[in-house]
Amino acid sequence: MNKTPRKHERNRESTKTNAYFFVSSKISCLRGNPFTETPKKIDLKEWSRQFQKLDTDFINQFYYYKNNDWGRYLFPPATFMVYGARQLKHLKFDNSLASLRLWGFSFNESERLFRAKQSNRKVIATMGDLGTVPIIVMAFPGCIPFYPDCTWWTPFFNESNVLLDRASEMGVPEASCFVRSALAAFDKKAYFPKPDLLFASTGASCDDYSCIMQMVENFGHNITWLEMPYRRHSAKYLVSDKYQTTNQGLEYPERFEDYLVTEYKKVWDKMAELTGINDIELLEQSIKKTNRLRRLIEKIKKLTYQAEIAPFPALEMMVIEFGNLYGYADIDEWLDICETVYETIQERVKKGIGVLKPDAIPIAWVMPTANPILLNLVEDLGGRVVATEYVINQALVEIEQNIEPFRALARSFLNASLIGSTEERVRRIKEKVEQGKVKGVIITNMLGASHCAMETKLIEQMLKDVPVLSIDVPAPLGITEQLKTRLSAFMETLK
Amino acid sequence: MELIGYTCSYIPVELLSATGLQPYRLLHGNTDLSRQAEKYVRIDACPMVKSNISYILNNQDKFRALVGSTGCDMSRRMFDIIAETTDIPVYVLNNPRTDKPEIFNDEIDWLVKQLENLSGRKFRDDLITGEIEKWESEREFYRNLDKKRRAIPSLISTAAFHKSLMNCHQGDITNHIDIKDESSDKPRVYLVGSAITHESHPILEILEKDLRIVGDFNCGLSRFLNIHLTENNLNGIKSAYYNQPPCVYKRPNNKFYDFINNKLAELNCRGIIAWTLDYCDNYEFELKKIESAFNLPVLRIKSDFSFQNLNQLKTRISAFAEMLSK
Repeated sequence: MNKTPRKHERNRESTKTNAYFFVSSKISCLRGNPFTETPKKIDLKEWSRQFQKLDTDFINQFYYYKNNDWGRYLFPPATFMVYGARQLKHLKFDNSLASLRLWGFSFNESERLFRAKQSNRKVIATMGDLGTVPIIVMAFPGCIPFYPDCTWWTPFFNESNVLLDRASEMGVPEASCFVRSALAAFDKKAYFPKPDLLFASTGASCDDYSCIMQMVENFGHNITWLEMPYRRHSAKYLVSDKYQTTNQGLEYPERFEDYLVTEYKKVWDKMAELTGINDIELLEQSIKKTNRLRRLIEKIKKLTYQAEIAPFPALEMMVIEFGNLYGYADIDEWLDICETVYETIQERVKKGIGVLKPDAIPIAWVMPTANPILLNLVEDLGGRVVATEYVINQALVEIEQNIEPFRALARSFLNASLIGSTEERVRRIKEKVEQGKVKGVIITNMLGASHCAMETKLIEQMLKDVPVLSIDVPAPLGITEQLKTRLSAFMETLK
Repeated sequence: MELIGYTCSYIPVELLSATGLQPYRLLHGNTDLSRQAEKYVRIDACPMVKSNISYILNNQDKFRALVGSTGCDMSRRMFDIIAETTDIPVYVLNNPRTDKPEIFNDEIDWLVKQLENLSGRKFRDDLITGEIEKWESEREFYRNLDKKRRAIPSLISTAAFHKSLMNCHQGDITNHIDIKDESSDKPRVYLVGSAITHESHPILEILEKDLRIVGDFNCGLSRFLNIHLTENNLNGIKSAYYNQPPCVYKRPNNKFYDFINNKLAELNCRGIIAWTLDYCDNYEFELKKIESAFNLPVLRIKSDFSFQNLNQLKTRISAFAEMLSK
């Protein structure tokens, strides 16, 4: 397998003259690195012990924003625990170098965003659409997109109610999606820098986040609002509209593309105004890069979920899947990390080794869990996630490259999980149930979240050929013995 | 007459009526209906949406079609459940949350074609004009009643107004209930928030024991009176419905606040009743702003349609009224 030219394309600023050797050295380190021989899930202490085997030169290879002065991120996970991510001491992680990079990079995001601002990059908040607007932002050199929405994990990783309590003080009902922590994060000013621009997508969206975004505006942030249409599919009694089908087989009225094209052009114009740059070729390049990532993640998912023995844990897989939203604010480095993940998984699959027992029970997971420990827990109970519906279908699909780029973005977004019917949302999971590839389904809800309230029972009904367990994710530190018993009993029924 | 159900203030009743069917605003809300729907949705769904689901399922034979919009998320998703469990045709139109009249206009054109196909009628100009005149006259009747409600002193209660409006919201426009004047010097308050359902009469009566509601911004009460047609044709419908005082879920929602602010001054209100149904995000998230934006005392009332805390509620209302009277 000759991967060198593709890696070489990364062309790191600091290693322009010896990119080949640099990358080549990383591959050899990966292959010979001291802790990938026996895949397993390890805790924080073991990671710290293992980390000591890495020498400084090795650690210094990994940095974000192509800056090996202050951009290093390879730390033992314990570092992030000390800085506040208390849950890490309860989690188990994959023991590979790929996993170490993945965790180091993803936990470093907050620092990365502040560094971006300090180094005169533009930091752009993209909210609500989960996966498309950042592609436009990334087309502008020196512009860094991020999703404040992703702060919804922070209270759980931090085992702290600080953000949720602040959101309540600001007027958010307690029975609502944990994404309310994003509002508090804006208020605290400590989780990400003040964005240079804010784009907020609403329309056929969940009410919780639409309301949060409005509150962000109420508290003084200037927002550019974008409309997401409801994806209305055909029916025998519907007339007049000409329908198209997305590359995932979802129908939509053709004219809806135009609505989205208008919105994406609005984003482009705002960005052009901010940066003084207006080169559509950059958008085409951004789409190409995004597609590289999306293809890679698809390969990772396919390989992981179809392997005889699970080669990578569900928690890391969730982090990988969500990286598609915006490459966690440095898509070049994220791509490289994901390539390392892919290589690790390939190697494990080839050797027939993995992190779970061979008889782990294949399940599907619907709705990303705000509390990451649930993924650990289900694996500990003998489960293995082989299919997901994490409400980000729009961020997983390939974007057309041979048509006008705004239209391509529109068409890809029309695959979005939450803008259409529930049946469309779980269609792929249902296919896997029918094929016998999934033995059970876990749905992780949030009390008061508008689409959870309306969709969950329908999903249970649609997937009734296998046992379905629907649970409410409790607030941080709220996982009770009762919840563990429910999960345990559910896994027992599947055995 | 067969019914055509609809859920949103942005759906033109004139077009529904042009089918020859009776437009029926889906505004149900009681604990029995709400509980029945928990077979299909979780307990934390909006109690009105739950009640509407049960009402439709219990009365399937009455409905020829249903028209919804993308207004609030739960209302939109209600049609997924209806489509999965019944054969009733459902038409869900995109009601943009942001300022996109072109989408709204396209969707109204789309709705016209669906309704023509449903009814087998061609919506010619004269049919549309006739419907506009019919419904504008109906609105005018209720605007006159509303004038009495708003008068100083207020001459009719909102509870009585609601009773009278119910026929209109359920499409029976031939039947106007007589309302006797009932002058009141009770503290004048404005009602804002989630929908007032067909079954919400008791809560209005409880409120008006100590207060007089002289204006509102609630589906199920007078919101539809804000539709003013200046052209008696389809363009007039599009323009009037799109440009009505905006729902709180519009983004940004500053015009909603501007409208209420003007109304509060115009109606000489001394307080605000913020009425929210359980899990009604669009209003619950705004309560804090409602409390601070208008410089008037606000009484929050949250409901799941049960009256388990009736005495406590009465005490709170009395205390609020007492405070406003001082």
